[in-house]
This record gives sequence, structure tokens and C-alpha cells, in this order.
Amino acid sequence: MTYALVRPNELDLGAFAAAAGLHPELVRRLVALGIIDASCDCSGDLWFAPGQLAVVARIQRLRAGLGLNYASIGLVLDLLDRITALEAALQRARRPGG
Amino acid sequence: MAADRDFYQILGVPREASQDDIQRAYRRLARTHHPDVNNDPAAEERFKDISEAYDVLSDPQTRRRYDAFGPDFRQVSEDVDPEAWRRAQAGARATAGAGGRAGRGGFGFGAGDEIDLDDLLGGLFGARGGRGGRRGASRDWGPIPGADQTADIEVSIEEAYHGARKTVSLAGPGGTRNLQVTIPPGVTDGQRIRLTGQGGRGSDGARPGDLYLVVQIAPHRTYRLEGRDLHADLRLAPWEAALGTSVALATPGGEAKVKVPPGTSSGRRLRLRGRGLPNPRGKPGDLLAEAKIVVPAQLSEAERELFEQLAAAADFDPRRNQ
Repeated sequence: MTYALVRPNELDLGAFAAAAGLHPELVRRLVALGIIDASCDCSGDLWFAPGQLAVVARIQRLRAGLGLNYASIGLVLDLLDRITALEAALQRARRPGG
Repeated sequence: MAADRDFYQILGVPREASQDDIQRAYRRLARTHHPDVNNDPAAEERFKDISEAYDVLSDPQTRRRYDAFGPDFRQVSEDVDPEAWRRAQAGARATAGAGGRAGRGGFGFGAGDEIDLDDLLGGLFGARGGRGGRRGASRDWGPIPGADQTADIEVSIEEAYHGARKTVSLAGPGGTRNLQVTIPPGVTDGQRIRLTGQGGRGSDGARPGDLYLVVQIAPHRTYRLEGRDLHADLRLAPWEAALGTSVALATPGGEAKVKVPPGTSSGRRLRLRGRGLPNPRGKPGDLLAEAKIVVPAQLSEAERELFEQLAAAADFDPRRNQ
């Protein structure tokens, strides 16, 4: 009897690529460029959190809508995350008694 | 320079990392440490180290040479066999003893060694060409001005009042540098002091960026700062508060006399106009002394008697109009 070591809340490369509507090689490339997060198990396979699908969608929008290259998309994603965090902190600070 | 640090360590990847892993680590680190994204003065140097490490490790051929020859790999000629190099290093160490680093010349090989020293060192300093200049935009762009940087500087209330000369230590090219900074009198929390030309270096002789020091006023034992106004507690005995008095209060500008009017209760604020932080462009701040009535923890016999007399005679009820 063999047991599959599967993390049910994560997607493998094939499932993730299918859900994102991308070729698995492009997904692998996005991981190598450091713009989507993946964890690597002991056999070298990539696993993705479902939340990364939203990141892929954002990458596609930035690329199609603004013509950004992948290096600048990485930077833009970082900055957008930073803005979100700062805006949240600002909101908290403005709230009375906060 | 990154010469004293391992390139793999700089990128935070294991030695057996794949080219994809190396690229991934580099892209992420470069994004967070780029001088325009991260204005910490130490980031510029880290970014350079990261770029240099990636420059070497991203090319499988230079990576192989780095693995074989270590940080000095650029000084080893292209056609040297890693195995021969290792044996030469071992031999050099054996003969040169504790002095100097191997591979720098000036030592002899043992009789059994068949390696020709000249052959080995022929590429020394000559083999720097190869992949040519460093990766970086300067190749295509010409001189690029340096980025501005930001660092915090902690200033005490006394220093903010009188002005001060302070030394700030910053990480920079070639290690820590110390800068003498003049703090003008009357700086406020969050104010920025600009040091022209002390920011990131420009490439190819372009002008450097500026360094901004953001003033952080340190918390103080006795004063609290609000804008330029200083707040301090004024501790009073009950009879002082009731009868009025004149109290000496320490301020950053020296002792000041506070006139406490008769009938002062806790919480009353007495304003000492102009005794707060000076303002180079206008009115100085005030010092606000807040009355705080303190009673003796233990009464002497005579005090107790007097308080009892007072309690019997007084018809004051502090809770009447609540």
C-alpha cells in the first residue's frame, strides 16, 4: 500500500496551470522569475497555494494592459502589496481609539 | 566588495541550487534592495553584491569556475584545470607556510611538483576580460545620478533645543562611514535634514544622490513633546496647591520659575510661554506644566493632627458638582 503525499490545499503544476489557463512551462518560468510563489517538495515538484491564481490574473492584466515586462511586473506587484499594507496601516491609525 | 562573502550566501541559495532557483532568488532580492525601492543606505551596497553574485552564478561556465577556484576565480586563466589548481594550492600552502595567500607568486614548489607556475599564473590580472564589464544599465545609459537615501537619526529633546553636532554611522561602499551632522536648534520630530551628495553613488562620475536624515525625537524622562510644546508634570504638595506658590522647574533652556496660583487642582496646565522648543521660523513653543498634587505617603503626628483639623473645619466637597 502506498500513500500519496499530497497537500490538498495546494495545487500541483499541472492543476495550477490549467486553472490559470497558462502553459505549465510559462508557470515554471514565472516561478523562476520570482513573481509567483511556489514551494518545492523533495522530488522537485512545484506546489502552489490557490491564492497565487489571483496573482497570475494580475500579472496577465499588467502585461496585457500596460505592456510591462516580467522584471517590471515583479516590481509592480511588490509595490502594490506595499501600498496595500501601508494603506491598511493608515486606516488603522486613523480609526478613533486605534 | 563582495569578495569576502560567498556568492551563494549573498543570494541565499544552496550550492547545488538550480539555475532557476538562482534566478528566482536574484530577481526577488534585486527588487527589494534596488536603491530606488529601498532607501536604506545599506541597500545600495547589498544590491551591488547581489548583482555581482548573480553575474557570476547565472552563467553556468563562470559558476563552474567560481565553484572550482573560489573568490579568486577571475585571476585564474581560462584554461587551468580545476584539479591541477587544487594540487597547486595545496603545494603552495605547504611550502609558503603561514605567510601570505597561495597563488600570489613568490614561493617555490616541492621537487615532485610538475606544475609550471608561470603557466598557472599567466592569466593573473590579465584574465579579467571575459564577460566584460559588470551587468548594469550604465553600459547603455551613460552616467546615471545616484538615488536619494533615507536614514533615521535619534535626537534628544535637549539636543533639539540647543542644536548639536552628532556622528551618524552608515553602511556604505567600503564599510561603515561616519558623518558629522549639525542638528540645528528647534528641529521637530519627523523633520528631514538633507545632506547633499551623501546619498547613493552615481555611475560614471554622475552626481551622487542626497541623504535625508529623518529626525526621531527620543522619549524623555520628564518631558513629552507635542509639536514644539513641551509637557511636564508639576508635582505639588496639597498646601502648595491650595495656597499658591512659586516653584522652580527645570526646562531644557534652564530653570524657570512657575507661579502656581492659589486653588490649583491636579490637571491644571500652567503655560510658560516660549519655554518650549525654539522655532527658527517664528514663535517658539511653550512649556506646559501640569499640576499634580502629591500627598505624603506617611504623615507625621503633627501633620495628621493638622489634616484632621482641616477635615473638620472645611466644607469643601470635591464631588459636589459631578
